[in-house]
Amino acid sequence: MAILIVDDSADSRVLIKRFLEKHGFGKVLTVENATDAFALLGLDQPEGLAKNIDLILMDGVMPGIDGITACQLIKSHAWFKDIPIIIITANDNAETLDKAFAAGAIDFITKPIKQLELKARVNSVLNMKHAIDQRKAREAELVKVLEELESVNRELSRLSSLDGLTGIANRRHFDQIYEMERQRAVRTGHDLSIVFFDIDFFKYYNDTYGHQEGDDCLKKVAAAAGSVLKRPGDLLARYGGEEFVAILPETEVTGAYKVAQDIRTTIEKCNIPHSASKLTDHITVSIGVAGGKMSLTDKQQELLTLADKALYEAKSGGRNQVRVAERNSH
Amino acid sequence: MNDCVMIDSDLEDLIPGFIEKRHGDIRAILAAAAAKDYEAIRNIGHNLKGIGGGYGFDRVTKLGAAIEQAGKQREGDKACELAQVMETYFKNVEIHYE
Repeated sequence: MAILIVDDSADSRVLIKRFLEKHGFGKVLTVENATDAFALLGLDQPEGLAKNIDLILMDGVMPGIDGITACQLIKSHAWFKDIPIIIITANDNAETLDKAFAAGAIDFITKPIKQLELKARVNSVLNMKHAIDQRKAREAELVKVLEELESVNRELSRLSSLDGLTGIANRRHFDQIYEMERQRAVRTGHDLSIVFFDIDFFKYYNDTYGHQEGDDCLKKVAAAAGSVLKRPGDLLARYGGEEFVAILPETEVTGAYKVAQDIRTTIEKCNIPHSASKLTDHITVSIGVAGGKMSLTDKQQELLTLADKALYEAKSGGRNQVRVAERNSH
Repeated sequence: MNDCVMIDSDLEDLIPGFIEKRHGDIRAILAAAAAKDYEAIRNIGHNLKGIGGGYGFDRVTKLGAAIEQAGKQREGDKACELAQVMETYFKNVEIHYE
């Protein structure tokens, strides 16, 4: 804490400093003109220099830059706008005081200096400054806490939308995005496609290799399928168990079919051993595809139901294949 | 009868220097009056007005105000007269510290 006295009169500086020190106001700095005050404060620097100044006592009448102009300049600096400035003046006429307050001065003291008046006014202003500093510190703390809270909330939101095992979107997030994309497709008239797939004979895989290996297999399948989806709007989710689903916005069913084939072959090329499979010696998937234009009259789950039916056909048709659902109404 | 002032004992060490500077002000007023430098007279008067009472010399504040006024009104003789009054005042003033 420090008080800065700016006064061209050496006698005034000495007297005020003596009074302030006598009453225990801590460190007292003195300069004889506004230019020296600006240099000490670091007014030409964006973050200022003397940040320990709690109060400035400024003579109103000084050669060069007068106290009122100096007050105005100091107050216009972001770092010093809240530093209280008391104008010391021998001219206590209304016009001088009006200018002082307009320049940002918080109070004034008339010359000659009266010790008790000086003490009371400085005390009062410092108490106010202390209260403002405390309030600002609390506000800064609050802002920090809010930022941390927002960050944690964002992370929680992200985590709540992910499947804990595979790291891709979970069922809950899929439901939200599917509904959003379905409504968007109704609105824009664009196609929307769904690719539904599950791992062939996965129960046998778990029975043979155990659940730990089963989990690893799910991760590999998710990663492989994810590598096929390259557009930002596409979403791959774990639908449940060994079932996965992909949403392909603005994609016609023929395009979705190609994506589905890519998924199927990419997973097959991973060559994940599956000795219990009744098809081959590695992991394969069966895929159902449904897509097309959406309309307001469509049932909300229609596309999913159709893709699921197509998946069933892929299964019953011999697995490790893609089937496309037919939509009669479109 | 001599003037008598009561001054805060915390300022005792500053008073000799203060009075010495006022003698300097008196000489400066006389010189400024001779040179018809009324702005200098006004400035010295303004400073005396501002500091006198703070150190306990209310008379200096009053004389300073009158000197400032004389400077404003370009009254060199009046300023010299007031400077002489201040000279006499400092010769005779009795200072007590409390």
